[in-house]
Amino acid sequence: MKHTTRLMDIVQRSLNGPIKEEQEFNNDVTQGIQEKVQKYDIRIQDEHFINFDDELVDRVWAAAVEFLADCGVYCQSTRRVILHSKEEIESILETAPDNVWYGEGPDAVHEVARGVEDPRRPLLMGSPIGTAIEEEYYVPALISYIQEPEVDVTMAPSMDKIYGYDIRTRSPLEIMACWREIELTLAALRRSGRPGMAVTGLDNSISDVGQLSADGPGGLRKTDLHTFGIISELKTNFEVLNKLTHILYRGGIVDPYANPIYGGLGGGKEGQAVLITAAMIALNIVFMATCVGSSPTHPFHFNNTGKELLIPCSLSFQALARNSHLLTNLTATTVGGPGTKTLLYECVAFFIMSTVSGCSRILGPRSATGSITGHFSGLEARFAGEIMTAACRLTRDEAEEVVRKAYARYEGDLDKKAYGKHFKDVYDPDTIQPTGKWSRVYDEVKREVADWGLAL
Amino acid sequence: MNAEYSSLETAIREGNVDRGASEAVALVERGYRPIQIFSECIEPLLKDIGEKFSRLDIFLPEMVNSAQVVKAIQQTVKPYMGQGEELSTKGKIVIATVSGDQHDIGKNIVKAMLDVNGYEVKDLGVDVDAADIVQDAKDFGADIIALSALMLPSLPSVRDVIEYTKAVEGESTYKIMVGGGPVSPEWAEEAGADGYGDDAMEAVHVADQFLQ
Repeated sequence: MKHTTRLMDIVQRSLNGPIKEEQEFNNDVTQGIQEKVQKYDIRIQDEHFINFDDELVDRVWAAAVEFLADCGVYCQSTRRVILHSKEEIESILETAPDNVWYGEGPDAVHEVARGVEDPRRPLLMGSPIGTAIEEEYYVPALISYIQEPEVDVTMAPSMDKIYGYDIRTRSPLEIMACWREIELTLAALRRSGRPGMAVTGLDNSISDVGQLSADGPGGLRKTDLHTFGIISELKTNFEVLNKLTHILYRGGIVDPYANPIYGGLGGGKEGQAVLITAAMIALNIVFMATCVGSSPTHPFHFNNTGKELLIPCSLSFQALARNSHLLTNLTATTVGGPGTKTLLYECVAFFIMSTVSGCSRILGPRSATGSITGHFSGLEARFAGEIMTAACRLTRDEAEEVVRKAYARYEGDLDKKAYGKHFKDVYDPDTIQPTGKWSRVYDEVKREVADWGLAL
Repeated sequence: MNAEYSSLETAIREGNVDRGASEAVALVERGYRPIQIFSECIEPLLKDIGEKFSRLDIFLPEMVNSAQVVKAIQQTVKPYMGQGEELSTKGKIVIATVSGDQHDIGKNIVKAMLDVNGYEVKDLGVDVDAADIVQDAKDFGADIIALSALMLPSLPSVRDVIEYTKAVEGESTYKIMVGGGPVSPEWAEEAGADGYGDDAMEAVHVADQFLQ
């Protein structure tokens, strides 16, 4: 793609940028965010979940660009900072793609840059987003997502073990796990009748060895999404850059993510709004991303459906939608797990906020914080997709009203670890259909939400 | 709290190292013993700061800055300590993210929380292998080894540290606590860890229990 021609420049900046100790860089992030929040008067005056203040959003954008120009991205491998000037940032953003096709043949889908209150439906990446599951349930659990018409693209779970053995980073076991991920994912796609659907990979590639091995002929396809995470906050290293280099040489779709931690270096809601925005811009500037994504995280509950993150996400993604044509995505990480109403209410709030705030694609939900083995199922993705489709018809006012109602239903559960049940307890693993009980919970919440005015 | 401590309290809460050190010296010169300043002002203040962070009334940078002021005060008041007097800590901990894992924010939050709750903590960084962790624990005189892992494939490295530590240093030389996304209490027990913390607050509680 025309925006991915700067690889050698990025590598050289990582080798020749200003030297800095990592703790000093962390201090730069903290102080830089605080300074820009003050300079640009980023204040969250009221407690709307969905942002209504377009001028505030545009100030968040300006603050984020200036912060990124000052602070840069840190390369741990060289202890140097990768810097771009404000003018370079603005110029590079002009070349960012505003649309991309994923997948092959009749299963191909088109992602486009969206605006705030955009009536076009985002894409749904229905997936447990990296949650682990036992080998025996891997394929049925993945099929439970792929078979849902609301799901446009997917991402495989992590493997709990490989052939009964623990997976170990940077070892042959990681390589085996990545190849097994591909093998099982392609089998799941074929069984579901959607062989050309795009998948994000490689989930089991923690280091670069897995990516470099299984992202190639016979493995992850060029029409899939090729992902990696940058390190919080705003850091990279040669392992990450190795993955990027390999993806670019393959001609793959670069799909990185950055997950700021609430209450960490970026501080509270205002700081998070600036940091998330800056991180998304950095993904495009430094990593030449086709699409940029985030799953900001609560430091104790490990979700992002609390008010402290819903609000900055809305601000940030509206800033990105109003001021760029970046392809953006957010991952819903819920506390609630399968079988619980909590999970579904959290989906209502997060998917509506993300849709109305201009996301191009929404991922998940990553149920039960993504950390409880096997606690996910395709039914919540179906629900989330239906919410998302209905949310495209909402104004911000209407969205706010529904999100508020949903939030009131689950706010008290956020610290209760309502992790729900394992896939095998909410689905028949043979027929890959939800149990009657889980279906009834889904029906009940869907009716309730429809009564709130959402056209389901 | 004694009103005489209010300027010191402000300096610590605001993360003002210079002012904190000078206020501490001023108090000593007014007749307050360093041990007294710590027990009457600084220790309860740090506990309050830790509790505020646990509610997210304040954030990690403020907590870290406050802890840094206190470290500076510890150095500054040392010359004023009487013979045989020393500022005690609850215990010494080395903390690391294990080999193969680059994530550090969770570890940093735990470290900061342990700092403000009276522990002396040495942060070994990320991607640290078992032998280095054990050597550093020895050199530091640690009581506890705290291990962090964010990714499932990092868990074998956590187990490596536990097994290596026990093989080389004996079963009970160090207490080992573990935490991070993929770690569960059941896994921690099966792996031979002495304790598990679901979050930073639990880590403090586990450390307190180890050293009771």
